[in-house]
This record gives sequence, structure tokens and C-alpha cells, in this order.
Amino acid sequence: MTTIRYKFVLAVLTAAVSGALSLSTPGQTPPPMPPHRLEAAGTYERAIAVAPTLNLTLCVTEGNLKVNGWNRNEVRLFVEDGPKFSFKVIDKGAGGQPVWISTTNAAPRPGVNNDCISGRAVEIDVPLGTSLNLSGKAIDAQIDGIRKVEVKTVGGDINIRNIKEGVKANTYEGDVIVEESWGQVALESSTGNIVVVDSGPSDIGDTFKAKTNSGAVSLTRVTHRAIEVNSISGSVYFSGDLKNGGTYAFGTSNGIIRLALPPTTACKIAATFTSGGFDSELPFSIDTENVAPDELKSVVGRLGSGGDALLKLTTVAGMIGIKKQ
Amino acid sequence: MNTNCLDIGIIQAFLDGELPVDEVTRVSDHIGNCNSCAMLLSEAEEENSVVFPALAREMDSMVPTQRLWARINDSIQVEKASAPWYRKIYGILAAGLASPSIAMAAGLLIVGSFLAVFLLNRPTAPVFEVAANRSTAVTPDSETREILPIAAAVENGGEHVAPASRIAQAAVQTASYRTPRIRVERAVYTTATQPNAPVQDAGYLPGEESYVRTIASLNKSVGTDQDPSVMRASERVSYERDMAVVDLTIKKMRETVKQDPKNDTAKQMLTAAYQNKIDLLNSVAQKEELVASLR
Repeated sequence: MTTIRYKFVLAVLTAAVSGALSLSTPGQTPPPMPPHRLEAAGTYERAIAVAPTLNLTLCVTEGNLKVNGWNRNEVRLFVEDGPKFSFKVIDKGAGGQPVWISTTNAAPRPGVNNDCISGRAVEIDVPLGTSLNLSGKAIDAQIDGIRKVEVKTVGGDINIRNIKEGVKANTYEGDVIVEESWGQVALESSTGNIVVVDSGPSDIGDTFKAKTNSGAVSLTRVTHRAIEVNSISGSVYFSGDLKNGGTYAFGTSNGIIRLALPPTTACKIAATFTSGGFDSELPFSIDTENVAPDELKSVVGRLGSGGDALLKLTTVAGMIGIKKQ
Repeated sequence: MNTNCLDIGIIQAFLDGELPVDEVTRVSDHIGNCNSCAMLLSEAEEENSVVFPALAREMDSMVPTQRLWARINDSIQVEKASAPWYRKIYGILAAGLASPSIAMAAGLLIVGSFLAVFLLNRPTAPVFEVAANRSTAVTPDSETREILPIAAAVENGGEHVAPASRIAQAAVQTASYRTPRIRVERAVYTTATQPNAPVQDAGYLPGEESYVRTIASLNKSVGTDQDPSVMRASERVSYERDMAVVDLTIKKMRETVKQDPKNDTAKQMLTAAYQNKIDLLNSVAQKEELVASLR
């Protein structure tokens, strides 16, 4: 009888202690699941003969991606530590060769996007005339030596270089770096920086646009005639020539604008700022000026001898500075 | 016996009071003039006087009369009317909980309520700001002041950095001149500021209303409690900071345009700031779409 009573008291005490502990413990989330590796992950390589001018639609959910242009009418795709994949021909040209292909998961699963591939490393060799349409989740992408690129990723840096006919890149959590790329350029990043070195139009009328919310924008030797740069809390840097007849608009809400221009630069300038200041090392003549304190200040004038180019600089809380190159 | 003598059934019905009035008159007249029918009536009355007392107890117990039902119902009504309120409630509860399924559901409801109270009172995870106090004591002639985030930028290594901690001090206070006592609600710890609140309440500037409407509709679709997989904590801080910067710009430019409606530069900057806000909200929505498409 005593043993039974003892056991009963012990059970009640245990229940009370465990109940109290469960109540006092703040809601703990379960530990994060390890990254899901798809079944049959391994190293795979496939190749397909294609037309020299190709549209490649690619979706990569994770991994380091390298896309490289080569002088062969063939696509070779190598995946390390990823699921098995296959090519999907979407359209063929007059000669019967694929002109539009994409990839697909060889072991499709219900409820997921089976057009996406992944792996620790994903390398693709494509013809030089390839137009790439890439969407990705958490990837670091390096794209080199193809005709045209359109990239949209959730996170990770995007490095693009040596593109012939246009770049469109959009990432939400990474940097966008573009080098030696030509054509229409449109770059966007939510929290990352945008860096462009050596870029210009490939056709008349090609424009350049860069927009970031929190990051900085840095342009070096960008020769488009229409450049529009906008940032909310980042700064804007520009170093290069202003083309005659060009329109250059640099704006930021809470950052500085700094330009490094050749001493011979000639353009019209309209600078607007509030709390910051305006400073120019280049010879500057004022047409109209409103610099009353506690007001929106604006300066309209000419750099050098004037000219047909228009430089429009706008910052709300930052300063504007023009330096000699 | 008269050939027009009454049937025994009619006589019995007469005794039971089941005949209509004109028939009762006719039967009474006939019995008064007919001896044999009067004899039948007296015999029937005698039979009734013997049979009914013998069956009375059984009949009363098995089939209560309408009068008895009426009395019972009246007693219940009186008792109900005079019962105290707690007995009434107890009666309702007892009747409801008599069913095991209802009793189980009530038990689960009580346990769920306790759990909900416990979970709601837990502190939330990352705290970025203490959003405060919107007074509910607003009278028609009260004045509402909106204190927008202070986006004081500081120079840091040649770059302007807006400290998130300062910007996160955004608070909306409502004061009333008629009732100087401000009723302050308990501080709510949350990760969201009020960046998506309409910037202005009335008196749109020319061309401004469409922007405000677009922003309001985007606010509805985007919401303030985004999926953590769509927006991480660091991104959220950046988002809130950018939104505060944009709101501050809108406020500044709006004041400038109000003071000088011919200031085209301020108008352009106001428009650009609104566009920035729309782009900022759109970026969240587009990111949600992209994440969903890649799942």
C-alpha cells in the first residue's frame, strides 16, 4: 500500500514539474531542418546540340552558378552534388536544331517547381549567341561572354561580364556587378550595391538604368547617353565622360552624389538638395540659384562652356560633389 | 314508445354534453314529452353514476385533463419567474452540458482560451521598436499630430548612414485639446513601424491622390507582417529604414509645395518620393511572387 502511495505521489510530482517547465519555457521553435538535398544527388553532366542563336531558360534554386559562352553550337551542363536533370526542348529552328531550351528535373516531385535545378556547383557552357533567362533563389551567379542576359534572383551576388546586347538583372539581397557589357542595361537591387565598369550602348537609343533601395551605385566609364540612377538611402558615384546630347539623372533621398568628370566637361546642370551642400571643382556658372536656408535649394547653371548634355542631380538629405578626373 | 324516440347514443351524447345547442334544445323538449325516452335517460344517468367513480382514479392518472395541464404550466411559469438569476444560468448550463459532446467542446474551448492567453502574452522575438500609444479619446474638434520618423543622417566615413535606431522611434500621438488627459495604451512590442500608413489624411495636392490611392492598395496587398522566408530581419530593418526615409521626404516636399505651390522642383521631388514608395512596396510584392514561383 505504501509503495502504491509513493508511486502515485511521484507521478503527480513529475507531472507537475513537467507542466510547469512547459509553461515557463517561451515558445521554442524547432531547430532548423538541414538543407534539403534531393534524392539521388550526385555529379551529372549532359550536353545537347543547339542552334548558334539560342534562348536558354534556366532556374537554379541554390549553388554557385557559372555560365560561360563558348564558340560551339552545343550546351553542356555540369552539376555537382545535385539532382539528376535533363534538357527540355521548347522550340526548334528551321534547321531542326533547338533554338529554345530549358532544364528540368529528371525525377519530378509533386508540389515543387521541377524546372529548377540545384547543386553545390552548376556550370553551363553555351553558344556565344545565347540569350539567357535565369531565375534563382539563393545563388551566386557568374555570367560571362554571351549575347544577352536577364537575371532575377532572390538572394546572392550577380556578376555579369562581357555581354554584347543587353543586361537586365534584379536581385533582392545581393550585389550586382557588371563589367564590359553593352546594350540596354537595367539593374536593380533591394539591399545590395550596384557596380558597373565599362558599359555602353550597342545600338542607338540604348539606355542605362540602375536602382537600389539601400545600397550604393557606382558607375565607371559608362557611356550610355541616357543614364538614370536612383537610390533611397544609398550613395551614387559616377566617373566618366558625359556625352554630348546625353541626359544624366542621379538621385538619392538620403545619400551623397559624387561625380568625377574630365576637366573639359561641358553640360547644363540642375542640382537640388536640402540639408547638404553643392560643391564643384570644375568651372561652374550659375543661371538661377535658390539657396535660402531651411528650404529646398536648387542651383541651375553650366559646367564648362555649357553644351547639350543635361546633368540632373537630386538629393534630399545628402550633399553633391563634382570633382576633376 | 314513440316512433320518434331518441337513440340511446344521442341520449348518451346528451349526457356527455357533446351535442350542439339546438340539438340539446330539441332533445330536452322531446324528453319532456316522451316517457320512454325519459326512462332511457334516467337509466343512462344511473349507469354513468356507477361507472365513472370506479374509473375516475385510473382515468385521472393516465390522461390528465386540459385543466390539469394548464395548472402545471402556470405553476412552472410562476416558479421560473420567481427564480434568482444564478439559478437560471445554472439551469441553462446544466441543460447544455447534459450532452457529453457539448461538455467536451466546452472543455476544449476553455483549454484553448488559456493557451491563447498564454501565447499572446509571450514576448515576441526580435524587437526593433516600441510602437506606441494611439489615443482613443478623440473628439470631433481634436487635433491629430503625426510625428514622422527622424531620419537624421550622420556622416560615417564619408557616407550618410541613417541610424535605424533613431528612425525606429517613429510614433504616432494623438492629442485632444478638450480632454488634455491622454489615455495611453500598453506599449506593443513589434517589428513593424507604421511606414505604410497613409502619409496624409486629407487635402491632396494636385496629382497626389492617385499616388496615395496606389500606395494604399499596395499596402493592403503587401501587408506589414511578411513571411519570414520572404524578408529576413536584416532586410526588414533596411526596408523600414528606407520607408522612413521616403516618408520623411514626402513630408518635407509636401510642406514645401504647400508653402509654394509654384515650386516645380519640390513637386518633382514629391512625385519621385511617392514613386520610390510605390517601388519599395512593389519590390516586396514581386519578391514574394518570385519566392513562391521557385518553391
